[in-house]
Amino acid sequence: MTRKKLKFKITVVASIAVVIVFAALFSGIIAPNDPYSTSAAGIRMAPSFEYPFGTDNLGRCVFSRVLYGGRTTIGMTFLLVAISFVIGTFIGMICGYFGGWLDRLLMRVADVTLAFPQMVIAIAVAGILGGGLFGVLLALGITMWVSFARLARSHTYSLKSKPYISAAILAGKSSWYILGRHIFPNILASLLTNGLTQIGVTMIGISGLSFLGIGVQAPSAEWGQMIAEARAYIQIAPWAVLFPALAIAITIIVFNYLGDLIMDYREL
Amino acid sequence: MSNVILEGKKLQKSFSDKGGNIDAVNSVDFTLRTGQFLGIVGESGSGKSTLLRLIAGLEKADEGSLFYKEKEYTNASPAENGRFLQMIFQDAYASFDPRMKMKDSILEGVKNTCPEAKLYDTMDKLGLKKGLLEKRPKELSGGQCQRMSILRALLCGAEILLCDEITSALDVVTQAQICELLLQLRNQREFSLIFVSHDISLVSNLCDEMLVMYEGSVVEEGKTKDVITSPNHPYTKSLISCSKGLSLS
Repeated sequence: MTRKKLKFKITVVASIAVVIVFAALFSGIIAPNDPYSTSAAGIRMAPSFEYPFGTDNLGRCVFSRVLYGGRTTIGMTFLLVAISFVIGTFIGMICGYFGGWLDRLLMRVADVTLAFPQMVIAIAVAGILGGGLFGVLLALGITMWVSFARLARSHTYSLKSKPYISAAILAGKSSWYILGRHIFPNILASLLTNGLTQIGVTMIGISGLSFLGIGVQAPSAEWGQMIAEARAYIQIAPWAVLFPALAIAITIIVFNYLGDLIMDYREL
Repeated sequence: MSNVILEGKKLQKSFSDKGGNIDAVNSVDFTLRTGQFLGIVGESGSGKSTLLRLIAGLEKADEGSLFYKEKEYTNASPAENGRFLQMIFQDAYASFDPRMKMKDSILEGVKNTCPEAKLYDTMDKLGLKKGLLEKRPKELSGGQCQRMSILRALLCGAEILLCDEITSALDVVTQAQICELLLQLRNQREFSLIFVSHDISLVSNLCDEMLVMYEGSVVEEGKTKDVITSPNHPYTKSLISCSKGLSLS
């Protein structure tokens, strides 16, 4: 694929991602109905002009809940990815640049963390903490920093032997200056690409924990939690499961695809 | 001797490998006098570049001592060493941060101490146009980039330049231009220089004295002309016989 074609694809997919994020961000303005308002007269209504995605078992507007759920799911995902990005990158850069016992220690911790499936650790931690927003963030964050740390470490390690780093050392620049001015800007693109692909994984994690009942708790709107609630009456009101599931699928596909495209673009 | 600016005694450096330790630099002695151009020749893997990195302090020697004007600096940090020596690297492009403008890279170490007049004067001397300062490394040719490396080293006010195969990544014409530039600078004798190369003919044209390194050790040393005309070690003999177009200075 040519660079021009890739650039066009990236623009289109990034625009869709921006629309998703803005829809979630401004859900309070866009949502046609109160997502928490129940109605005994309007339970499990099929999609209509008033309720574009129908209503759930308590008569709540599924479209409004999907928009509000987006704010929770996407907001938590971005927050978690951002925190993991900062912590993981910092640890990785320190390990890669200074090496020594701290590098060996932290990388062994990372190896041990990677040895367990991420979801199993997350379920265990969230289970112990009893669910809720903080529990989900901590449960997934425990393992998420590792990918950023390993990536930052390997890039830093290879960059530190570059002549321009030696030149900066000979110019009397401190290690912190070199890390901030020379190394971080040169590994940022790669870390951001990793961040984009982590968005999909994190979203599955957050929705998965909420689906299992150990994440975001009712009545808060969250896509995984909405599916868990509505699956009991999926045969009567499939829309109550379908639309949150579609929202998860589309968002994950868009961000993963965007990450892949940017990676391809950088490799060209 | 009072005019000795740099001296290395019994320098030793090994690297561990799967098969055991490799002696990259093995008990190397050298002396560099003020204004002198010292060449170091040898095949790839003979320890030339490691020796330069030891001198600059970018690698720490396992054993041995380094002296700058008779004062030991073996354990000094490379940042301290940067006050009297600077290094010019083989890969000119990789010597500059690809994201930074040349001006920012060039002035990184001397931002507040280098007057603009000095910058432009030195650029003039090296045949560099002012406009290049606003460009990034990829926008420059290999020769321009290597001149920029020399500019950076000169602006730092270094008394000693360490050149690590600075022409080997350049095309023949640019190689000739860089050598011509170094010859001009040599005549001005503003600094001393250690010139590492595997090209013995280049070293013979440029340097007053030379060391020949083989498998981490210095196998031959002396005035360039003497080494070229009457080599003693078999490796030096084969190096000279293999070197095509060798012209004695």
